Amino acid sequence: MSVMTTQVFEQPAVIQPKQHGKPGGFLRHTSIFTGLAGGIVLAAITYMIGSKLVPWGTQNADFSQVGLNALIAATMFAWVIGFMAGIGAFAGPIRWALGHDLTHDDAEYMAGKDQGKFRYWKYTTDHKVVGTQYFVMVLVLLGVGGFLAMLIRTELGWTWGELFDPDFYNSIIGTHGIVMVVSLIIVVTGPLGNFIMPIMVGARDMAFPRLNALSFWLLFAAVPPLLATLFMGGIRDGWSVYQPLATQAGMGMVGYQVLIIVFAFSTGVASVNLITTAVTMRARGMNWSRVPIFVIGIIASSVMGLIWFPMYQYSQAFAMSDLVVNSSFYNPVAGGSVWLYENLFWLLAHPEVYVIVVPATAGILELMTVFLRKPLFSYKLAIAGFAGVVGISAIVWVHHMYMTGFAPQVGYPFMLSTELISIPFGFLVLVALGTMWRGKVWTRLPMMCVYAVIWDKVIGGITGVYLSDVPVDQYMHGSMFVVAHFHFMLMGAGLFGAMACISYWFPKMCGRMLNERIGSIGFWVAFFGFQLTFFSMFIAGLQGMPRRVLQFDNAFNVSNWVSTIGAYIIGIGMLIFLYAIITSWRGKTWAPANPWGAKTLEWQTSTPVPLENFPVLPVVTSDPYGYGVPDPYDAIEQELAKDDNELKVPQ
Amino acid sequence: MSIITPPETDQPEEPTNRAMPTHRLKEYFSRPYVRRILIMAVIIMAGVIALGWVVVGFMNTTGAPASDIMVELEQTVLIFTIASAPLIAITLSIIFYSLTGWKHSSGDEPPMQDSPAIRTNPVAVIAWIAATSLLAGFLVVWGLIELATITSNAYGSTSANQQPTDVKQIDINVTGQQWVWSFEYPDQQGITSDTLVVPVNTPLYFNATSVDVIHDFWIVELGVKIDVNPGAITNTGVTPTKLGTFNIRCAELCGLHHAYMETKIEVVTQEQFDAWVRDKGGMKTA
Ligand code: HEM
Ligand SMILES: [Cu+2]
Ligand SMILES: [Cu+2]
Repeated sequence: MSVMTTQVFEQPAVIQPKQHGKPGGFLRHTSIFTGLAGGIVLAAITYMIGSKLVPWGTQNADFSQVGLNALIAATMFAWVIGFMAGIGAFAGPIRWALGHDLTHDDAEYMAGKDQGKFRYWKYTTDHKVVGTQYFVMVLVLLGVGGFLAMLIRTELGWTWGELFDPDFYNSIIGTHGIVMVVSLIIVVTGPLGNFIMPIMVGARDMAFPRLNALSFWLLFAAVPPLLATLFMGGIRDGWSVYQPLATQAGMGMVGYQVLIIVFAFSTGVASVNLITTAVTMRARGMNWSRVPIFVIGIIASSVMGLIWFPMYQYSQAFAMSDLVVNSSFYNPVAGGSVWLYENLFWLLAHPEVYVIVVPATAGILELMTVFLRKPLFSYKLAIAGFAGVVGISAIVWVHHMYMTGFAPQVGYPFMLSTELISIPFGFLVLVALGTMWRGKVWTRLPMMCVYAVIWDKVIGGITGVYLSDVPVDQYMHGSMFVVAHFHFMLMGAGLFGAMACISYWFPKMCGRMLNERIGSIGFWVAFFGFQLTFFSMFIAGLQGMPRRVLQFDNAFNVSNWVSTIGAYIIGIGMLIFLYAIITSWRGKTWAPANPWGAKTLEWQTSTPVPLENFPVLPVVTSDPYGYGVPDPYDAIEQELAKDDNELKVPQ
Repeated sequence: MSIITPPETDQPEEPTNRAMPTHRLKEYFSRPYVRRILIMAVIIMAGVIALGWVVVGFMNTTGAPASDIMVELEQTVLIFTIASAPLIAITLSIIFYSLTGWKHSSGDEPPMQDSPAIRTNPVAVIAWIAATSLLAGFLVVWGLIELATITSNAYGSTSANQQPTDVKQIDINVTGQQWVWSFEYPDQQGITSDTLVVPVNTPLYFNATSVDVIHDFWIVELGVKIDVNPGAITNTGVTPTKLGTFNIRCAELCGLHHAYMETKIEVVTQEQFDAWVRDKGGMKTA
């Protein structure tokens, strides 16, 4: 992307409120530590007052303790509110209400100006800080989820008996599932969407910097309630927590519901922010045909999240109401409907898988152009592909409910939509293939990940096509086959795609090159283990092994042993990759500003990126894909054309 | 650019700098990489198609197909594999060729020379969209027809507004309960059992319900599956075509002992079935 740095634009002066005291005011005293204190204090107070008030002994239809559930829910929400208050999240609105609105100096203080490393522990609005916070958070969450996955595989590989109590086993599969889903939803849009995307479009920060900090800290506050459930009976119902089973779980479910209700606010806020930034804050000259494809992917993903996350939130709000005030949205005994739950849940939970896969896909398209030194093939087709996926993703959710027993005719339209969605997905495949076509690859780690991701997508895609057929799904639904299918998509395409993106943008984000050798070893070990684990899981599923079981027929032993061995290999690979991230990040030498010779804007500013990203705002004069030399085959075509024209001449 | 004198006709022919389609196609297929990719694609395609049989082979390890539906759905797996094989093969061979065929560069510095600037190719785009749409269209049509067939077999004979078919069918009430299955035979004087015993080649019709949470009634080798919901009755049906003992498992997480919620289905001859019914205290049917 050509950048002119000579022009300076006059900005109209904005009338500033008067400065009271030192910049930052109250916020000078808040940090994660005051947040923790606030959360714990408010939760403790709520618990003490609440335990005097609740009607002990009241039971709901499933005999769980209504009073206790209500108390736990109130305590958890109190923790969230106390934490947010303690960290200073409400300082802005309160000061505005009191007539002391934040001044420019206050805003600079909040952006972390001159605060050194401690700004990472505060309610800091700078998008680069938020992105880094998300990055660390994601690594932690993936670690927790991965550890639980190892426990699951250990149980399944131990075919001689029960290693864990069935209740504990059920709660680790549920917790693993939801922790991984949450981390994958944020793994690209969190770190890269926040850190890279605003620079990529040439903005100084996100459109709403304070909302940006809000979205991260809400997520942060929502995680303790989730992990607390492990000590309160757990989420024993899988990540999809079908009703009415979930109601039986009682307390453990409350933590899940709090997580989802709060997390939905967090993603809503983040999505609005990302969309607004990409739509309104692009650099001069960056019209819609010059927007990098990664930005399009972030927009597409955020749109889906913004529209569909509320469904999930409602589903859990109703579920919580069933638990704490004894309503009966989902209790068939009292006139509720279990299908209401399933519909609300899958209305989000299907689009959500695309929320995960779309940004990772866009990211790999972006970096393919750099490592192949070629323009993106058919930019318009790529946009059409993303648009198609966003559109159709809204109308396919029932393919997760084919076997719920509705009238068979209901399956027809959803089978149609599910199979049609492979057409826009196909667009994206062609964009990738066309970009590869005759390109000389620069074989660096991020690009090698891209090959791995495409392979995984092909496998996930074919198996998805089997599943989308109602009769075939009649065999495969609820079996290990489905588990392997979605791991190929979520882990194979989503997580490995995120690893590609992270190793590509690592030099900009963390300021150092990611260690190529250690990173590659980690990645390929994980990839190999992944194939082993999930191919044998396909086999277990085809042989008839249901999912979410801890004991099974001896017929499935071999494939489960292989799967478990594979899972340990993944674990080792991931630890090596993590080691590469940590050691590289602590390295002494700074990365060059543009180590890949890329043309998008984020590589044109210095590393580490200065507080407002660009000394002078860039102006864009072409799209970011101006790579390439004239095609040598064109000359041959010209020759042929000559021959043809001669042939056409009479005589 | 053209250095050729136009033919002397009334309407001068448009000068063109594109070769004739046949020439261009010929030239295209003479390029070495195109040939190699095509050869690779053919090999991969054969492999993918073979995989279809591997998939079905694994489905058959415990005695499937044991019903009309299972035969039907295994056939679908094969057809879908074959239908999607060409596109899969092209995709995989291009990524393999990109890894192995076209030139590489490595090292820490960005490569000095860029690759050809191919921005788009209308022929490729249109051909690809046409091919994927055709494939998707075929899958949809095949799937819809097949779904209509198996549901008419399975549901047709008892819905209230339809004539009963001439085939004698057996109704079975399935009840899921944490964590056992039980079966009731209303046509056989309501005898009950915790394993399913059924005569071969007779259509079965299941009315399934649950007394607590959602379970999922899965007769593995017969390829039928239906959720068992509290407060509702769901239906499905199948005709077993093979004698033997097969597995029934619960395919929806239903709490503590979900893993152990399994039982057997015995598909026996009509005579054995009648004897079994008598043993259970029912009267001989038909
Ligand atoms: C060609 C495209 C795809 C098709 C046709 C397809 C089809 C399906 C179908 C029909 C199911 C339901 C299976 C069942 O429960 O019986 C399913 C499950 C699932 N798919 Fe896909 N899928 C596709 C791509 C994806 C992608 C891109 C992702 C994720 C990024 C994904 C993630 C999942 C997940 C998470 C589940 C299971 C959820 C659960 O039951 O817990 N799929 N897929
Ligand atoms: Cu889905
Ligand atoms: Cu079960």
